[in-house]
Amino acid sequence: MNSPIAPPPTAAPVRAPADAPARRRGNGRALIWLCGGALAFNLLLVLAQLALIAWNGLGYFWQRDLVSFELGDGRRLLGEVHAREHFRPADHPAAEELPWRIQVKVANREHTGADFVWIEEREIVRRAEPADALHFERSEWGNFHGFLRELHRGEQLLASGDAAWPALLEQIASAERQREALLDVEKGPLGDVQYALDALRLDRRRLELDAPAADERARRTAELDAREKQLDQEFAGLSERIAGLRAELESVRATCELADGTRVELPVGGLLTALRPNEMSTFDKLLCWGGRIFGFLVDQPREANTEGGIFPALFGTVLMVFLMSVAVVPLGVLAALYLREYSRQGPLVRCVRIAVNNLAGVPSIVFGIFGLGFFVYGIGGTIDELFFPEALPRATFGTGGILWAALTLALLTVPVVIVATEEGLAAVPRAVREGSLALGATKFETIWRVVLPAAAPGMLTGVILAIARASGEVAPLMIVGMVKLAPALPIDHHFPFVHFDQKFMHLGFHLFDVGFQSPDVEATKPLVFATALVLLVLVVAMNVVAITLRNRLKSRYAGSAL
Amino acid sequence: MANDLDERIAPAASGPPRPVLPPSKRLVQRRRNDRLARWVVVAGGLAIIASVLGIFLFLLAQVFPLLRGARVTPGGSTPIASARPLAVLSDEAATHLATLGDDGVVRVHRRGDGALVAEQPLFPPTADGRAPPVTCGGSLFGDPGFVAATADGRVAWRAIRFDVDHRPEGPVVTPRLEPIVELVVDPQGHAVTACASSARGSSSGVVAQLADGSLFLIERVVEENLFTGEQTAATAERALACPAPLTRLVVDARRENLFGATTDGRLLWWNLLDPAAAEPRVRSVGAPITALSLLIGDQSLVVGQQDGSLTVWNRVQPEGEASRLTETHAFPRRAGAVQLITPSWRNRLFLAVEAGDRALVGFSTSTRVLWEGDLPLAGASAAAIAPKNDALLLAAPGRAERLAFDCPHPEAGLDVYFGKVWYEGYAKPEWIYQSSSGSDEAEPKISLVPLLFGTLKATLFSLLFAVPLALFAAMYTSQFMHWSLRRFVKPAVEIMASLPSVVLGFLAGLWLAPRVADFFLGLPLFVLLAPLAVVAAGRLGMALPARFRHRFHDGAAALGFIGVLAATLAAALLLSRPLEVAWFGGDFVAWMRSALGLAFDQRNCVVLGLAMGVAVIPIIFAIAEDAFSNVPKSLVSGSLALGADRWYTVTRVVLPTASPGLFSAVMIGFGRAVGETMIVVMASGNTPVMDWSPFNGLRSLSANIATEIPEAAHGTTFYRTLFLAALLLFALTFAANTAAELVRQHLRQKYARL
Repeated sequence: MNSPIAPPPTAAPVRAPADAPARRRGNGRALIWLCGGALAFNLLLVLAQLALIAWNGLGYFWQRDLVSFELGDGRRLLGEVHAREHFRPADHPAAEELPWRIQVKVANREHTGADFVWIEEREIVRRAEPADALHFERSEWGNFHGFLRELHRGEQLLASGDAAWPALLEQIASAERQREALLDVEKGPLGDVQYALDALRLDRRRLELDAPAADERARRTAELDAREKQLDQEFAGLSERIAGLRAELESVRATCELADGTRVELPVGGLLTALRPNEMSTFDKLLCWGGRIFGFLVDQPREANTEGGIFPALFGTVLMVFLMSVAVVPLGVLAALYLREYSRQGPLVRCVRIAVNNLAGVPSIVFGIFGLGFFVYGIGGTIDELFFPEALPRATFGTGGILWAALTLALLTVPVVIVATEEGLAAVPRAVREGSLALGATKFETIWRVVLPAAAPGMLTGVILAIARASGEVAPLMIVGMVKLAPALPIDHHFPFVHFDQKFMHLGFHLFDVGFQSPDVEATKPLVFATALVLLVLVVAMNVVAITLRNRLKSRYAGSAL
Repeated sequence: MANDLDERIAPAASGPPRPVLPPSKRLVQRRRNDRLARWVVVAGGLAIIASVLGIFLFLLAQVFPLLRGARVTPGGSTPIASARPLAVLSDEAATHLATLGDDGVVRVHRRGDGALVAEQPLFPPTADGRAPPVTCGGSLFGDPGFVAATADGRVAWRAIRFDVDHRPEGPVVTPRLEPIVELVVDPQGHAVTACASSARGSSSGVVAQLADGSLFLIERVVEENLFTGEQTAATAERALACPAPLTRLVVDARRENLFGATTDGRLLWWNLLDPAAAEPRVRSVGAPITALSLLIGDQSLVVGQQDGSLTVWNRVQPEGEASRLTETHAFPRRAGAVQLITPSWRNRLFLAVEAGDRALVGFSTSTRVLWEGDLPLAGASAAAIAPKNDALLLAAPGRAERLAFDCPHPEAGLDVYFGKVWYEGYAKPEWIYQSSSGSDEAEPKISLVPLLFGTLKATLFSLLFAVPLALFAAMYTSQFMHWSLRRFVKPAVEIMASLPSVVLGFLAGLWLAPRVADFFLGLPLFVLLAPLAVVAAGRLGMALPARFRHRFHDGAAALGFIGVLAATLAAALLLSRPLEVAWFGGDFVAWMRSALGLAFDQRNCVVLGLAMGVAVIPIIFAIAEDAFSNVPKSLVSGSLALGADRWYTVTRVVLPTASPGLFSAVMIGFGRAVGETMIVVMASGNTPVMDWSPFNGLRSLSANIATEIPEAAHGTTFYRTLFLAALLLFALTFAANTAAELVRQHLRQKYARL
């Protein structure tokens, strides 16, 4: 530190300086350093967190080399080394150096029981990196590590030895096309039939509730019966087609050898990707890394969210935040306009302003429980009774859903928008308004054409801050509509296209659920880091935009001095 | 401002010198639009603000029913045939009333018209065909049915089934009396003077005292042959010592504890599990005991006395002593003698009828009187609470009365939420929170004090960490840093505010917690070393050539300190292991447990405080930085001009001026910490303990709401209790934020004057 106002020591006054100020100066400098240290520690915290999440989150997608281990007790393992640490064996003498152990991802969950194992370094007899070690990503049972031996279709041998690997890659590519065809049928026609059957069931119930005259009832029943028969036929036909596609997928099988020499057969239809990591160059790995990041963002989750992508969670978050913005912007702007432009400034408005500011500090969980009581049970329950009696006791709107979540968050973030918009309105110079009024514009025209456009950056800042807060908020949503796994997106091609009553997935809840409520927390931690990274990037990016906008707004009017 | 427009436009449009033109069509249209817009904005704005304030009212409305007492309204009387009913009961649908008369006959009446639907004796006729006189009788607990004892030494009971047939026009209930179960207590035919019974599955039992003072426990076990379906009953008899003739006798469902009362005011307790202890333990309670009843769960014993005292007794075991009956709850003394006490089958409600045809409904856990009032019939000899707790039943000679009883939340009350409560099985009154257990028999423990304590504890630890760091950093940024650096540093710290708390919670719970446990000593070591390292680095920096130093802006040192602190942290962590070996036997956690007796949870308050501190720092920092920066420059210049150095100026001039703003920053940080949910859910272990140890977990109000509300059914007491917790959070943060806001507004005015 260098203090410009400290008088140079040579310029001492005639009288000797008092003792105290000199001592103060010496102390002062050290204390200033300590303050600087506090700031440095804060910055360190920010950097460390971002670095930690980025490193772990991005590292999740990196394909590590496969290492084979031979242990002292004769066990053989093949896996990726994930961590190395000191550990404390039960009978370890306290004073001695602690031994090292390494964490190996051995995969092959159905054979080994757990994805990860810890092995003590002193037990390792031999370690190697065999070039032909295989890494499969599978649709079930997680990853597979082993060696490829043969490829069969039914009883017929397709390839073996060195020829097996290119043949396998070919088969995997064709299996992927088949899987897509299968998915098209399942999601398309089959989904439609199931949807129609579900609607039919509700129609029957509605008929019962309506209790029309006998002939009317007979007519409608006959209609429903005919439709059901047709749907059932369609359903049977589609099921057959799906069964055929499935059988085809199952027909090609790869014979592989595990690290301990056991032979297993894997259906190629269940393999998503096949790699020989030890043969890959750094550039190959980098390509693979980029592909995995992309896949993570656009794929469906597998194995109860512990593998695969996070697309539905990302989609749910974005859609919910979008719905929230649609609700919060008009509300917030209207309230801010009232407070700043139309109300008489006095003690009452001051109180209201304090209340609105306070609301921004009310814990989000309070909004959550309010949303549950008011939106879900109050309004939703009433809607169900009035409009969806045929579905009762299964609740349609009387349970958590994306609409209620969006409205709850809109309430939570409305103070942010009000405050930011008010700031934006206040920053518009009085002269600009007066100019507009003097030219004969009405008050509304002045606000609409002159003030609001000028205040737009302020409003935008508010909206972005609201969105950033909403996308990171989890606690209130746990109550009003988030679920671990939503089978369908809230938007599809069935009328009315956007299903406001549907539960949805959310990045934040996905993180909480996978990180804390999955059976093997240790194994899913890397994926949670990756999810955290996505969430963080989303939120931080929006905040950076908001801060930049705010600064621009400040500098735009700071110089005008009007 | 509202009339700006009219004032401005009016003179221009209708100046006197010019001829008055009728406003053009377009102007009319524009004015109409303007009025419409004003109307929409004002109405919309007011509505939004009102609805925002409505949140508070909604929460209040959800909580309010908790504090309401019971409502009792007449529900119609039914004529009955029993001359003097000993017991009364009704079915769940409240279609029928059954009574046991003192002639030993069970009669079932249809409610409303009073038609006699069934009439059967409780005792099989004796050899001579006469019905023996009944000496005492009552209702079974938990199942509709009656039990009675005779003057010739027999005890019998009979259950009543109410078969429900769900027809389209409504359910039809048909009462049906089960076969009689009879036990002969005394083959010699001495009269039974007091009896108590219990039934649980295939085993049932009776305790009876005979006229000669002897007391017997008779148990009957029915075994069913799996192949033939044939039932065989075996009975076992056991004699118990009894010092005096008993007036009241109660036994629990498992027949583990027997309670008796005497006319001279003694309360006796036999522990039946202990075969050696045939002798009762005796407590003298003063006035003669006139009514006695166990509540659901078979722990609390309600005692009513001649002098009107109404108390609840429990078996309490003080530390290191044998357990004994202790008075745990005392209700306000009644005017007349307590004649009848009858328990609810669902919770710890009971109905007590006293002399003078008055009654009271109380709840034992909270010692709360939910209702008291006059009875609509005189001389009630039997009373009951209907199976669904929706009515009180009273029977007097020739007439039975049903009083509709509405009390949705008897277990609530301010005392329960905030006061110490003496729960069953505890040695003294305590604050306890326990998650719902699902069974009615478990006493609900819903004190909010442990949760409030957890909330404040978590807040305290996080503020201890966050406040100094944030305030000092804010002071440095605003006072000692060049604006070109400040421009980047401020947003960087504010980015911290945008970190979603779920990410912080995840990092704290899964990444930080195990590392803190492994390197615990590193933390205090770092706290010690960091200031030294910073000062040393500062000195070193001063030693650099001045020409080199002057190339940096003020405050660049802080950026250099980041590296210094990172290195110090690494060093502290590396040193923690050798220190542990040298001083703490190689394992700090084990050492702490054995030497200090402190438990160490992995998810403890240190981890929680760090994580929540990180969440709170940016908020405090931002507001404090504003407060420092808003101190008028003239004050600083004045101080510097008078010869004070910068540190002196900052501590003696800037700090006092900005202090209200700092207070407001801390209050807002407090508000944020109090309401923080996900971090607490993920990093605190969620154990509702009340303990100041920093190595324990805790459970906060907010985390409790988040984890429990999915289990709470809409409208139940538990559901509303969680709303009360939310209201409490709301109030806490509202108070903190309002204080901060008022201080801030005051400050703004002060600066305006300076």
